[in-house]
Parts: sequence; structure tokens; C-alpha cells
Amino acid sequence: MKSIIAFVSILLMFVLVIPANAGGKEELQKHFKNIANKVKATENATEKREILNESFQKMSKALNTLESTGMISDKDQVGIDGLKATMQENQDELAGKNGFERVSDNQLNNFSDYVVQNMEQAEMITISLVSLLLIIILVVLLV
Amino acid sequence: MQILHNRFVKNRNYVLLFVSIGFAMLTLILSSCSANIPVQQVSQNPVDSLLEIKYSIIFIIHGNGDYLYFDNSGNQIEADEVTLTEAIRIALQNPYAEVFIFHQKPTQHFLFFFSLKDGEFYYYRNGKLIANELYWRDQEKSNLDFEVAAYHRYRKVTPNKLINIFLYFGHEIPEFGGAGYDESYSERTFTIDDLANELKGFTSDFSKFDLTILGSCFGGTPYTINKLGSYSNTIIASPENLHLSYFDLHSFEQLDINLKDSDVHSFANKIARESFEKLTKNVQTEVSVVVYDVEKIQPFINCVYDNYNSTLISLKGMTQENLATIEHCDCADIPAYQISTINNGVNIFYRPARFGRSKNKLNHSGWKCWKY
Repeated sequence: MKSIIAFVSILLMFVLVIPANAGGKEELQKHFKNIANKVKATENATEKREILNESFQKMSKALNTLESTGMISDKDQVGIDGLKATMQENQDELAGKNGFERVSDNQLNNFSDYVVQNMEQAEMITISLVSLLLIIILVVLLV
Repeated sequence: MQILHNRFVKNRNYVLLFVSIGFAMLTLILSSCSANIPVQQVSQNPVDSLLEIKYSIIFIIHGNGDYLYFDNSGNQIEADEVTLTEAIRIALQNPYAEVFIFHQKPTQHFLFFFSLKDGEFYYYRNGKLIANELYWRDQEKSNLDFEVAAYHRYRKVTPNKLINIFLYFGHEIPEFGGAGYDESYSERTFTIDDLANELKGFTSDFSKFDLTILGSCFGGTPYTINKLGSYSNTIIASPENLHLSYFDLHSFEQLDINLKDSDVHSFANKIARESFEKLTKNVQTEVSVVVYDVEKIQPFINCVYDNYNSTLISLKGMTQENLATIEHCDCADIPAYQISTINNGVNIFYRPARFGRSKNKLNHSGWKCWKY
């Protein structure tokens, strides 16, 4: 009987949790907002750069890991490619590579806002909810 | 004693099961219930006010998608909710206006199976709420039938010449296809042609809106402006991405002062300038707000329309995956659009993004095209 109760409870918990998470892109936005908050809370420019760079690398790694599972649809692949390109451009601009002017130390807070606002404007409707949630989970898990 | 103990354990298990299910059901009911106010007809037949009506304003606020953004203080904002609040404030503060507000919301369910109405309509006249009701949006093709019908049902019939203003807030409205615009209805389509048809429905009793404000990304294309221009004299739109904080509508709160001389074009320029100032102060991304004088832009539209249309026809034949790789660009970057009339009738407020590849772009033509 206890196992039935446990099963029913877990099942209901899953059912109830799904609507609460029905917004993968929102989670992605919140992730980048947290990064921006961390950047702003740090005084040292080198540390700000490290936080940003690490977040871009982590995101790229998560996207690569997701791709390597082979479970991505063609439609999701287009969205993931777009997100990867954006991460690469952010990384290049931060470091001043590939034709980008390096983001100056006194502009790092604004740059972190730019990353968030760019994400807010991006129409990533080509990435399914499941893939977006997987990306977030991978970003959290990958250290 | 053992039997009694077994019964007690068995009963306790049943109680636990029922409590567990009961708790889950309660949570389910609470989470699936809409937090919206119940349906209310404030007044079906409002007593005519002594105050005359000078302004008729329609807001369509799309909220069935991802409209989350963060303000400068880090607060989490839902763009459609903020716009709704602003629209209501405008309605309350204009004693000589009638204001129609249609809020298009995500689908919500009661007990998973019973759909709740996914639209909410407000009608204000002389600064007072006259009607407020929940409604069903079109479930398949978006003809926006309810919106048009409600407008004709409630609007004040008056011999006076009204200043008619239409405002739309939402994501980029597709110029073809349009499936997936609503998160709740993946098959439902919504295109700029659908919006134009809706404007046609609204304007059946007058020739054109004096002003249309399109609060969406990539609204300033030759096709979109031409479609809306059939039903509007002046249009404000953004040819680039428009941040979800949208335009600054502060000047709408005192129409009697800001539109005192009925000069809609000057009013449009004021709104555009204030929106530009608000956006450039708050966002690091590209900002573009353009006022289109529909009569003056016609020579440009006539020259480029076929070219733009043939691009759209080519794009229509592409798969969704290939289409996602096609980018937008300033029309001035395409030789076929580099004609002398490109700057006629457009008042452009532009600032490039503070970062990114286009941060040194100094000017914008005010027109958006496809890089294809």
C-alpha cells in the first residue's frame, strides 16, 4: 500500500510540476539575468570578465552536449545553431577576437545587460520546450 | 491484537492515500483556476454621458507567448500585463475618450479538461469602465471576429469627427505562414494580412485610422506598412527588434493637452521621440522608432513593392529550418531599394546597439528587408 501511495504521490507531483515549468526560454533568460547580477555585484573587472566568459563557455558546452545525444530534431538544431553562434559572438566580443572590438572594463556591466536584452528579444521559437529545459539542466550540471 | 493493529495500519494507509489525492486535487484546482476577475457586464446599455467623445482608441495586447523581460532594477516583468495596466490608465485619464482594450491571453484549464476563456475585453468611456468580459478568441484562423464585433457593439455613434487610434502590442507578426504565433495553439495562424483584415473590420464606418501604432519587432517592412497603410494615415513602427518594454505611451494619458490641436502627425512624432528616449535610456540593444506618413511613402512603396513581394513568395516556399537562417537587413543595404524616395515620409529615430556587429551603424533607412 505504501508503495502505491508513493507512486500516486510522485505521479501527481510530476503532473503538477509540468505547468510550473512551462517556459524554457524564461528559464534561459533568468539564467543570464543571474549572470548579469553577479557581474554587477563584482567590483573587479577581471572577475567580471571571468564570470561572463565562464557563462558563455558553459552554455556552449551544454549545447554541444545536447547535440551529441543525437536526440535533437532538425527544427531544434536550427535554434541551437543560432544560440551557439550568439554565444560565440559574445565570447569573441568580450575578448576582442574575430573582428570585434574588445569590451572595455567600464562597459562590462552594460555588456551583461546587452546579453540579457538580446536574449529577451530573440525569438527562439524553433527550440522546443524540452530542449530548452535540457539546456538549462545541463548548464546547471556542468561545472 | 495483531488483527486490530493490521486494520489500523490498513486504515491509516487509506487515509494517507485519500489525503494525498485530496491535497493533490486541491492544488490542481487552485493551479488550473484562472486568477482573472470573473465575467462582468458593467453595463450593457450605458447611459450616455454629457461629455462628448473626441478620441476612439483600440488596444490589442497579445499575451499568449513569452513576454518576460527584466527592468533596470532587476524586476521580472510580463510585457503584456504592463501594457494592459498602461492602457487602463490611459482609459481612466481621458474623459473625452472611448477606449477598447482586448487582452489576448494563454489558454488555461480548469481540472485539465475544461478550457477557460482566453481573451479579456474592457470598454471605457469618459474615463469610466462600461464593460468588462471574458471571451473566446478565434481557435483556428485569426479573423479576430470577437474584437471587431465588440467594437461595433459598444462604440459611441456620434456625428462628431473622432480621432481614431489603433495600437497593437505583441511579437513580430509574420508576413506569411503565421503558425505558432500563439503558444497555446500551435496550428493557429496569425499574419499581417489577418491584422489588416481586422483593421478593415474596425474602419467600416470611417475611412482610416488617424494613427496606428505597431508595437512589435520588424514592423517597418514595405509589405507590413503598405498593408496597415490601407487603413491608417500615420503609422509608428520599429523596423528592427523592439524591446518588450515597447513604446512610451505617457503622452496618451493627457490627450486633451497633447492632441489639443488635433495634429495627429505631430503627436505621432512626439510619441516616437519619447519612445526613443525611453528605450535608449533603458536598453543596450538596437533602438529604432519610425513614423511613416502613409501618403508620402507611397512613391517608395510603389517602386519596391513587387520586388519585396517576390522575395516573400520565394521565402514562402522554404522549409521552416531554412527560413530560420534568413536574416533581416536594412533595405538600404540592398541595391534595388536604394532609390531617391527611400527617405520620403519617414521620420527615423535610430541608435545602433551598444555592442555587437552593428554597433557602428550610424543610420537607418527606416525600412526593413530580408537578406535574401
